[in-house]
Amino acid sequence: MGIDIIISHTICRIFLFFACGSTPRNINVGSYKIKHGLDLRLMGSPKPSIADASDAGSVSIYPQEFEGIKPRLQVKEGDIVKRGGLLFFDKKNEHLKFRAPAGGRVNAIKLGPRRALTEIEIEVSPNEDVETFQQYTAEQILTLSRDEILSQLLETGYLAYILQRPFSKIADPAVSPKSIFVNGMNTAPFQADIHIAVTENETDFQAGLNILTRLTNGKVNLCIAANPANPSTAVTQAKHVDIHTFSGPHPSGNSSVHIHNIDPISPGDQVWVASAVDVILIGALFLEGVLPATKVVVAGGTGIQEPSRQYYRTRIGGRLDSLLKGRCSEEPYRLLSGDVLSGIQIQPDEYLRFYQSSITAIPASRKRSFLGWMSPGWNQFSASKLFLSSWFKRSASWDFNTNLNGSHRVMVLTGLYDKYMPMRIMVDYLVRAALAHDTDEAVKLGILETDPEDFALCSYVCPSKMDVMGIIRTGLIEIEEEGL
Amino acid sequence: MKFLQDQLEKVKPLFEPGGKLEKLYPLYEATDTFLFTPADETLAAPHIRDAREMKRTMITVLISMMPCVLFGIWKAGHQHNVVNQIANTGFVEDMIQGSLLVLPIIVVSYAVGGAWETLFAIVRKHEINEGFLVTGMLFPLTLPPTIPLWEVAVGISLGVVIGKEIFGGTGFNVLNPALTARAFVFFGTPKAMTGDGIWTSVLDNGQVIEGFTGATPLAVVAQSPDSTNIIQTLQNSDFGEGFTWMRIFLGDFGGSIGESSGPACLIGAAILIVSGVGSWRIMLSCVIGLAAGSYLMNAVGKSGDFIAFTQLSFHYHLVMGGFLFGAIFMATDPVSGTATNKGKWIYGFMIGLLVVLIRVANPAYPEGVMLAILFMNVMAPLIDHFVLQAHIKSRERYLKRFKPHD
Repeated sequence: MGIDIIISHTICRIFLFFACGSTPRNINVGSYKIKHGLDLRLMGSPKPSIADASDAGSVSIYPQEFEGIKPRLQVKEGDIVKRGGLLFFDKKNEHLKFRAPAGGRVNAIKLGPRRALTEIEIEVSPNEDVETFQQYTAEQILTLSRDEILSQLLETGYLAYILQRPFSKIADPAVSPKSIFVNGMNTAPFQADIHIAVTENETDFQAGLNILTRLTNGKVNLCIAANPANPSTAVTQAKHVDIHTFSGPHPSGNSSVHIHNIDPISPGDQVWVASAVDVILIGALFLEGVLPATKVVVAGGTGIQEPSRQYYRTRIGGRLDSLLKGRCSEEPYRLLSGDVLSGIQIQPDEYLRFYQSSITAIPASRKRSFLGWMSPGWNQFSASKLFLSSWFKRSASWDFNTNLNGSHRVMVLTGLYDKYMPMRIMVDYLVRAALAHDTDEAVKLGILETDPEDFALCSYVCPSKMDVMGIIRTGLIEIEEEGL
Repeated sequence: MKFLQDQLEKVKPLFEPGGKLEKLYPLYEATDTFLFTPADETLAAPHIRDAREMKRTMITVLISMMPCVLFGIWKAGHQHNVVNQIANTGFVEDMIQGSLLVLPIIVVSYAVGGAWETLFAIVRKHEINEGFLVTGMLFPLTLPPTIPLWEVAVGISLGVVIGKEIFGGTGFNVLNPALTARAFVFFGTPKAMTGDGIWTSVLDNGQVIEGFTGATPLAVVAQSPDSTNIIQTLQNSDFGEGFTWMRIFLGDFGGSIGESSGPACLIGAAILIVSGVGSWRIMLSCVIGLAAGSYLMNAVGKSGDFIAFTQLSFHYHLVMGGFLFGAIFMATDPVSGTATNKGKWIYGFMIGLLVVLIRVANPAYPEGVMLAILFMNVMAPLIDHFVLQAHIKSRERYLKRFKPHD
């Protein structure tokens, strides 16, 4: 990283300037090699095929997923809503409305502690009505004003697919970000691969990118893998954006790493981030003028039986039963919305979450082994060199489970986390600053450039089983509350 | 195994909140997780965790020390048998005699230090930390085999309590606890820790071998008159066997139990480096610092009639005394050493440099490894502070590069 990238970047620019006569907008402008990190080889990877699972029966929306909003409910149980019908809006910004992912009867409205709205469940009607919004052609999109686009995104709630950094909350429409990053790669195990998810939605994806270009005076950076397994030209040759390729182990696919290398966040900066899979939905909304009904999600992990580990086209917010029924392991397993590193635990009778495009199931394990610390370690994976397997089974895949593999201890080792952090961040000291509630120091050490997910590997390798992700999350919340 | 596991489960309620022995929970936790890996599951992301944990990490350090322990036992026995002219002894007799001398010291260190660890864990309501497995073994290896056992007990108590627990326990200590323990014994009871008579156990009524003085190579050098040929002096000492470089490296003479053997220390270093548990940066920079210091002293020594120690060249400094042992096992303690990679280079270099300075310039005692490491332990947070400030500056410069020029 560093100087060499700046130089290669500049040389590339100069070369392109002479070749094309002006700075081009749709050419691969940077390639980055990430060294620090770790690729976990999990058993149970999904096949790159898409099956239809769009008959979900019912859908749900979880308002608490949307960071930083205060919902005001606009429906009651028993109401009939259209797909795209208003469910609630944000009390802080009444223009930001959230709409039903499917049409039908409002089955249940669930409240949590302190009467916080936790879930709105809708039974999908076989012939659902659809609310229509402004429809645009692909050409029109390129000439739309920022305000026109924002008003459509606010009106439909699809602004929620665009997050701001720092703090990973819904983008503030009043702010013009210095650049926008589209994450078109995934290095955590079993995330939806954009090259597959884009199938049949190529024009939607390009339209989505075009929409994003209207939202910033800076650049839209599409970050993709250097060598994708199933490349799609809709991604590798996307127009009107800067394409950057990243290679190397996880977390080379994390947006923080992309931002850090391309256009890093100084205190006071704001950058917007969207997942490429969600950009498809944004594009579809503008081209069709209605909320899309389905999206592509991936199901992986050994908790899901073969041959069901694959991609599914399913209802947005759809019931997981429709995907998983009869397809899960008979042994105890843990179901995750998202990936094993930063996903959240959910139950099989719940619904797809708004943000995640992957479902992972891994074996749950409370198994204890006798004198485990003395075992040679042939049957366990470790990123360290303390196990036989780290020497002789380097390319094996492993059936990871939920065991903590140890117990909580105080922090003793130093410098270990930095091997898994491909940014200019000294993790030990950032963690200490966050633990000490020293927000000034944490900002100086770069916490604003990060998201808890960037510390997943640090938590993973920690021999003291520290909750590094949680510490950083708390630190970020404190800084946000304090204000910069 | 099932039976054992069931028994543990059966007594568990006694130790849980509300149980009769609730206060002793850390003891139960230690036994339970020693016997069986814990059943705990991850509570939040990441949902999977690496197989590495603290026990295996600390056991690896302990394994790396085993060559030093075994050699130390053999050496203590062998020296005893040779010096006291005990007839018909071979390897087995040496090991038996050595065990009689050394094992009690190790047992006392573990028992007394372990009791303090457990007491503090119970009072403070936290788990017993595996780090003590290392401290409890490191301390005996730095002692002479003749040390009275009560001094071992007092030393490890002060090391654990003053060196570690008053700072908040494992992970919070400023000084290396094992070296702190040694420093207390060293300054508190100098008779048992300094001089020539303590490194080899001599029988009260025995007939010692002719020419035996008990002086270690470092003591020989320190006691030499100014401007003598130091290499010659070394080769004529130790009842005719002579201290050649190779003999000093191999370590078959008096000295602390575990630290005289170069090969044993290097095997330990190899294990620590290959497993990634010990910092190779610190070990290497210690050696570089030692080289810098000894060449500097050689240059000073040439310019006039200085004490004999200034003549000693780098490769002798390297194998003498506890340097290798200290650089490999003591300086690399991650808690009391520097935490940053750049800091590790500075920290190690300064230790090496100080070792030579103390050895050459200090007339009171010939060895300087313990003091050099303890001093740099104190300096470590300062070094890290400067490294961190430099890091913050370089971050600012990096971010500035991306700012639009207005």
